[in-house]
Amino acid sequence: MTLDLIFNVVLLIASIYCFIYIGGVDNSTSTELGAAFWPRLILGIMIALLAVGLVNMLRKRDGKAPVSGQAVKEFFKSKLLVGMLICAITALILPMIGFIPTSFLFLVVYGILLGERRPAVLIITGAAATLILYIIFQGPLSIFLPRGYGFFRNFALSMESVIGMIPGL
Amino acid sequence: MLNTLVSGLQIVLSPSTFILIFAGTVVGVIFGALPGVSASMAVALALPFAYSMNGVVAIAFLCSVYCASITGGGITAILFKIPGTPSSAPTTFDGYPMAQRGEAGKALGYSLVASAIGGLIAAFAMAIISAPLAAVALKFGPGELFAVAMLGLSVLTCLDNGNVIKTLISGLLGLFLATIGMDPQTGVARFTWGNTTLLSGVEMIPVMIGLFAVTEVLKQTVKRAKKGGGNEMEGVSYKTAIPGVKDFFAVKWVMLRSSVLGTVVGILPGAGATIASFLSYTVEKKVSKYPEKFGTGIPDGIVASECANNAATGGAMVPLLALGIPGGNAAAIMMSALVLKGVQVGPLLVKSQPDYLSSVFGSMLITNIIMVFVALAIAKVFAKILAIPYSILGPVIIMLATIGSFALKNSTGDVVLMVAAGIIGYLFVSLGYSSAALVLGLVLGIMCEENLRRAYQIANGSWSKALNSPITIVLLLVCAAMILFPIIKGALPEKKAKN
Repeated sequence: MTLDLIFNVVLLIASIYCFIYIGGVDNSTSTELGAAFWPRLILGIMIALLAVGLVNMLRKRDGKAPVSGQAVKEFFKSKLLVGMLICAITALILPMIGFIPTSFLFLVVYGILLGERRPAVLIITGAAATLILYIIFQGPLSIFLPRGYGFFRNFALSMESVIGMIPGL
Repeated sequence: MLNTLVSGLQIVLSPSTFILIFAGTVVGVIFGALPGVSASMAVALALPFAYSMNGVVAIAFLCSVYCASITGGGITAILFKIPGTPSSAPTTFDGYPMAQRGEAGKALGYSLVASAIGGLIAAFAMAIISAPLAAVALKFGPGELFAVAMLGLSVLTCLDNGNVIKTLISGLLGLFLATIGMDPQTGVARFTWGNTTLLSGVEMIPVMIGLFAVTEVLKQTVKRAKKGGGNEMEGVSYKTAIPGVKDFFAVKWVMLRSSVLGTVVGILPGAGATIASFLSYTVEKKVSKYPEKFGTGIPDGIVASECANNAATGGAMVPLLALGIPGGNAAAIMMSALVLKGVQVGPLLVKSQPDYLSSVFGSMLITNIIMVFVALAIAKVFAKILAIPYSILGPVIIMLATIGSFALKNSTGDVVLMVAAGIIGYLFVSLGYSSAALVLGLVLGIMCEENLRRAYQIANGSWSKALNSPITIVLLLVCAAMILFPIIKGALPEKKAKN
């Protein structure tokens, strides 16, 4: 309920902002619809629906505090937030350290988050899965995966030369 | 029809394409059987493999993954009472009790053959319907095409059992996301805030991969944290046995009804295999002479569910190929893959490039036949495949999704977009919004806007002339009825209660 309310309010504010913002680029003529017409139509309906949804939510509240904070606290303690952060960090470090180190680290760290506690299993499966994905995509499918910068770039280049030596890849 | 069949078989029986379809079938059956990997996710994860293929082969390959993954979902539903895909949930009602009675092999046999028959009937229906439907659609002007696209969106609100307002907001949000970037008609930048990357618009593929792969893994992360991890799969020993012709003859009407129903439901945009299987199961229970036996482990229940969900795959391809409107999430992913290949998806596709229809038809025929043998062959090792812990599978899914997003333009920006879509998608779905509506809005957004603006321009700025054709009026009235129907339906019990 709390998160729902926050999401609804954020979406409503963002929609109102976009509705006003796009008004500035209106280039309609008497026979042509401008660039702002369609987005404004969508946003207008969205604002109305979000407002109705918000009123419905506040009505169903029955005198309870709209933001109890309990759900927010639980969210910050949850594995979900950690999972989201791991994914976000992975996306950000991928161009810096390249595919192989990012993939290996991600597989190990997310594996721990999902309950795997045996270090040997994490390291072996992490390394094997990374290598399989790398060989399949870098080799036969010719998809050049991110190399990273500096040391990581040199490492990726040496891996590519090793793969290039395998016949058929 | 015969031409489509011949050219379809020519395409898919060329050695390289056949090997790809075979591989797609194996991967699809395994993906579908793995709980937490839906059919849409299976297609999304198969995308990076299709990047290097030509459009005709790519669609055949993705179709094989889609059809096989729907079938794979039924296997775990029968053996472990865990549907591999949501569309196989009704299969658990009768499949699992049958397996518990020691008839797991028979239940699997019914499931696989029913899936194949449902898929084949739908493939023929697709080949028969698509061309005439596209021919009719070719006569449509921009006003009619706008109404058709709106119809596709409004069907969702009618079929969604949840919150109508949230479903509408989801669809609108998808339409809004499609407006980001340079306006195709006037060249004005919209919602880019000076960012040049946004000028080309929101890339559909990373958003879809994020919504179907990352969101699902996040959902499983929460689910497993609550359950305390562990693997639900326990080894089950069983013998796979195909029931005899006499057994199938006894359920022939169930197969026919479910296949037709599944195809029709599949054609409706947004109403995919899940709605088809539940609806078919309910219908069969109602028309059955022995409804009390449903849920106790009878073949009728398995056949109804599996025939319908596989038939929906063929149905979903009809609006995609004939009108350029995807009939479901997996079809939306295939559509974005075709757009990526520079294919103009819409009514002209069937006429100007009939190879695409032939390829889909041929792929569906071959996949639905070979998947029975593939599933039977690997049935023995299913328990072992399913024993792969999610702590390994989940992260591998995200890495595969990462490659799929990156390989699109060799841009890590698309990986960031995928993760953002996955995180927002999780919040979105857990708060009761509809990701299917969002995807459909995103895919249909450009079609809706372009045609509305073109209609207005042709009518010299007159709304009454722009949308005055009888087809447009009827379609828009149907749209209005579909949007209002759930609202009125929701209000009725309250009135009764008040009285």
